Amino acid sequence: METGERVTCSKIYMLLGLLFFSFVRNLSALSVTVHNIECVYEYVIYEGDTVSGNFVVVDHEIFWSSDHPGIDFTVTSPAGNTVHTSKGKSGDKFEFKAPRSGMYKFCFHNPYATPETVSFYIHVGHIPNEHDLAKDEHLDPINVKIAELREALESVTAEQKYLKARDTRHRHTNESTQKRVIFYTIGEYILLALASSLQVVYIRRLFSKTVAYNRV
Amino acid sequence: MARGVAARTPVVLWLVLICCWTSHLLPIAQAVWLNLPSTGTKCVSEEIQTNVVVLADYTVVNDDEHPHVIPTMSARVTSPYGNNLHHQENVTHGQFAFTTSEAGNYLACFWVDSNHQVGEGLTVSLDWRIGIGAKDWESVARKEKIDGVELELRKLEGLVEAIHENLNYLKDREAEMREVSETTNARVAWFSIMSLSVCIMVSIFQLWYLKRYFRKKKLI
Repeated sequence: METGERVTCSKIYMLLGLLFFSFVRNLSALSVTVHNIECVYEYVIYEGDTVSGNFVVVDHEIFWSSDHPGIDFTVTSPAGNTVHTSKGKSGDKFEFKAPRSGMYKFCFHNPYATPETVSFYIHVGHIPNEHDLAKDEHLDPINVKIAELREALESVTAEQKYLKARDTRHRHTNESTQKRVIFYTIGEYILLALASSLQVVYIRRLFSKTVAYNRV
Repeated sequence: MARGVAARTPVVLWLVLICCWTSHLLPIAQAVWLNLPSTGTKCVSEEIQTNVVVLADYTVVNDDEHPHVIPTMSARVTSPYGNNLHHQENVTHGQFAFTTSEAGNYLACFWVDSNHQVGEGLTVSLDWRIGIGAKDWESVARKEKIDGVELELRKLEGLVEAIHENLNYLKDREAEMREVSETTNARVAWFSIMSLSVCIMVSIFQLWYLKRYFRKKKLI
């Protein structure tokens, strides 16, 4: 009877440990259209958590220049301090250690008139440290290793999302290039034929009998 | 007395467990917050491939300033071909789940209800998960009766498989894009040579036509 209870107790403790670790969350890579300023909020539970992520500006119709003007990105802590900032980038990765727990604000600022679509991914990762291990004696060091392994895998996932967003942008550029090649060359042929027929018509008019003494 | 205490401890533990579980359902720890303007729609989208489970949950976050007035919002989710997957009006909380049948951009749009338009707008907490993030690990744990370290390792295995699938998907996409690039490259060469030949043909036609015209006009 006693051993049965002890087994149930240990199982409950393990489930508790499980729940403790499943507080690590990640998001899908969402895309949002930035007209002027768009802000996204994410809650960081534990102080000292590593917040990592990336963003890529996906949708843009650049006509002449080959370089995207970029957007500005700012991360603000719950206390109001700017934790991370980057200006004029069309895609960037970021990682910082959260100085305190609370609601963090991730803002994109588009300084230009055309709206841009930004695909972003934010991941908050927590690895239990010795303090958590000391607080709860039912946490094994193996849970720490599992959390580290999970964080490493999440960083691979984050890279993949960044690559996928960059690949989408590259695909847009490629499809736009293909459309431009077809339409601009066919337009060029038509304009060439038009210009030459206009030349012929003009020369004909120069030699028409209605204008007298027009030896060109 | 000792038996009583020992009997009560599992109950306390279960209560703590249940508290942990319900706090899981709070959007605070696992969702992204968006600001809805008081007029206009806010949309988020994601490019998803076929046969992926999408699970999402959206809740209006209570403002501390007006605790008794909870504004309502509406949501609509559309597939890349325009099919309406989820549409709800005048709610403070909702959720939707579907498996994608088309690959493309899935759009989820939110807007504040017209009869609840306060000046500031609204904060929505959106918990959007796809693929491996949408997997229900609790039911897997219950069905296969695994827990603790084994369940964590099973989750890691699922994550690794998801990474592998993503990598294959990226590889396929890169192959498609490479084909497009190569056809564009071939077309640029072909069209440029053709433009040179069109130029030559048009000038030959001009010369032939003008010679015929001048002969007709007895100028040559």
